[in-house]
Amino acid sequence: MPGRARVAATLISAVLAVTVAGCAGPSEAEPDGPSAEPEWSYVSGDGQTYTADEVPERIIAEAYAAKVLMEFGITPVAIWASSPIAEDVGLQGADFTGIEVIGQEWGKIDVAAAAELAPDLIVGDWWPVEEAYSGFEAGVEDTSRRLADLAPVVGASQGDSIVSLIEGYADLAASLGADPEAIAQSRTTFEAAVTDFEAANEENPGVSALAISPWDTNYAIAVPAYAPELLDFQRWGLDVIVPDTPDPDFPYWETLSMETADRYQPDLILFDDRNHPGNEEILAEAPISAEIAAFAAGQTTTWPAYWVHTYGDYAAELTRLAEVIRATDASVGE
Amino acid sequence: MSTTRVAPPSSVARRSGRALGLLPAALVLLVLVLISVGLGSRDVAPADVWQALIGSTDRADATVIREMRMPRTLIALVVGAALALGGTILQGLARNPLADPGVLGINAGAALAVVAGALVFGAMPASAAVWFAFAGAALATVAVYTIAAVGREGATPVKLALAGAAATALCGSFSSAILLADPDALNELRMWQVGALAGRYYPVLVQLAPYFAVGIVAALFTGRALNLLSLGDELASTLGLRIDRTRGVLFAIVALLCGAATAACGPIVFVGLMIPHLARLITGPDYRWILAYSTVLGPVLLLGSDILGRVLLPTAEVPVGVVVGVLGAPVFVLLVRFRRIVTI
Repeated sequence: MPGRARVAATLISAVLAVTVAGCAGPSEAEPDGPSAEPEWSYVSGDGQTYTADEVPERIIAEAYAAKVLMEFGITPVAIWASSPIAEDVGLQGADFTGIEVIGQEWGKIDVAAAAELAPDLIVGDWWPVEEAYSGFEAGVEDTSRRLADLAPVVGASQGDSIVSLIEGYADLAASLGADPEAIAQSRTTFEAAVTDFEAANEENPGVSALAISPWDTNYAIAVPAYAPELLDFQRWGLDVIVPDTPDPDFPYWETLSMETADRYQPDLILFDDRNHPGNEEILAEAPISAEIAAFAAGQTTTWPAYWVHTYGDYAAELTRLAEVIRATDASVGE
Repeated sequence: MSTTRVAPPSSVARRSGRALGLLPAALVLLVLVLISVGLGSRDVAPADVWQALIGSTDRADATVIREMRMPRTLIALVVGAALALGGTILQGLARNPLADPGVLGINAGAALAVVAGALVFGAMPASAAVWFAFAGAALATVAVYTIAAVGREGATPVKLALAGAAATALCGSFSSAILLADPDALNELRMWQVGALAGRYYPVLVQLAPYFAVGIVAALFTGRALNLLSLGDELASTLGLRIDRTRGVLFAIVALLCGAATAACGPIVFVGLMIPHLARLITGPDYRWILAYSTVLGPVLLLGSDILGRVLLPTAEVPVGVVVGVLGAPVFVLLVRFRRIVTI
């Protein structure tokens, strides 16, 4: 199965990376030098190996990272989110009871509250394009960035697959003492969902999908190269349409006007689930929607846009989408 | 009617001149309508636009022309007329050259009421939103006049404009705050709030058509009353005008026009300011003619601004409210600066 092969390949490469990095010499976060065998080490998203004499226990994590660590059995002492937690579709189902919240607005983290918690480790995604961890990107307030003064910052790298992101966190969780069984179980459930998703595409071949987010009078189409879950869908057999001309200054999307929204004719429309159903209502009001065959035929659903961090969420979404794909008439689009 | 009674001997020639002057204005409007229907982000050849209008072409082109560009154009026509007429009546009513439903905060009040209504009751169709707009327009009018009337000299034009500007800023801030607090639920209002014709389709026009029809027709019959009011309350009352009742009716018509216009495409400033002055420049002081010209010139300004907004930037549209604001601001400054040359 390509899905399993992918997971296996990711695992192997992760192991190799740890080994290579381990041989590479002294690490950045370990001032005591290479002589002592560190109790804890982790190859972080930025490619560097972080070590510590004791396994970090007091963790402050960005909410998405916290969700995946918690799925693997590691609970942080505090979290921060980039928007109100209750409204974030990516944080539904997470139980943050008893965990201190030190930020619910992008770029704003209460560093004083964080300092009082005396963290051993700060966790957030690594963004390769921006070369920064979540919470430390360009535009974040300087006072919030001082969070990095409290403890080393680590996290899995955003890349071209959600699987490698989750596996990066699985490694981190394992290094922090998570039960390998729990991780393996979560992975097994997920792999079954991937198999089901691939089966759906084999049973009903030729379904093309367009991932969109209509807003105001615009019809924004997601560019898969910047949406790891869409790249995953492509790997697992779904024909996610790649738009021809991404916006020059923000290549995550190709933004069409409503007047030209019928340019691409997929069999299935995937609405950005972060602002659904509002985005679908905007499209429904625009008369051009009648000219988008998939929309007119009611062949629409949502896709988990830019937020999946856990095997649990991913498995649920893939299972749901597999059913939608099976029910999609592949002759609707062009 | 006073102006004809005291008119110079050349009045017959002048009157026919004024009537003829409407013709080129109407022609300009017609050209703008054609441009508006023909111009958009989707490339449709002029011949195909015509085919789409008479209904014999590629389905998608026809949908864009008939169901997206046509309603947008028609909404620009009725909103332009409503705002220009509202401004004309306000200026005559208040004998204030700076009066404009946008400047006096009436549109912003209507908009705030619509946004607040949507916050409490959820997204609603234009036919429901318009009632909030009426209430907001009326409340803003009363509030602005009350504030401006404080002080010895009463509600002077500049004090009214200042109170209106304050009300506009205040209502605008509250509207923005509400929209920011609940961006998903109020998605649709985000663009509307700056004044936009884009994204407004037939349902908006159909639902608001009765209010526009009543408002515009009623406004066209206010010329005599406005002419009498322009003579001063005392003389007007001597000539048989019931001042208070007339004022009440006129304010109600303004609220109707501005409420409907704001419900249709958000708070738009300056149309009601510029157009009556332009009309007065062409016609002289007779309100019956000013109203007639406003009905044609208001749509010319709004539709022209909308078209300008579509072509100004290579990638995105500039909302019509912004274009009108940029065009109107210098006119407003000139009117304040040289107020003495503009007498009402």
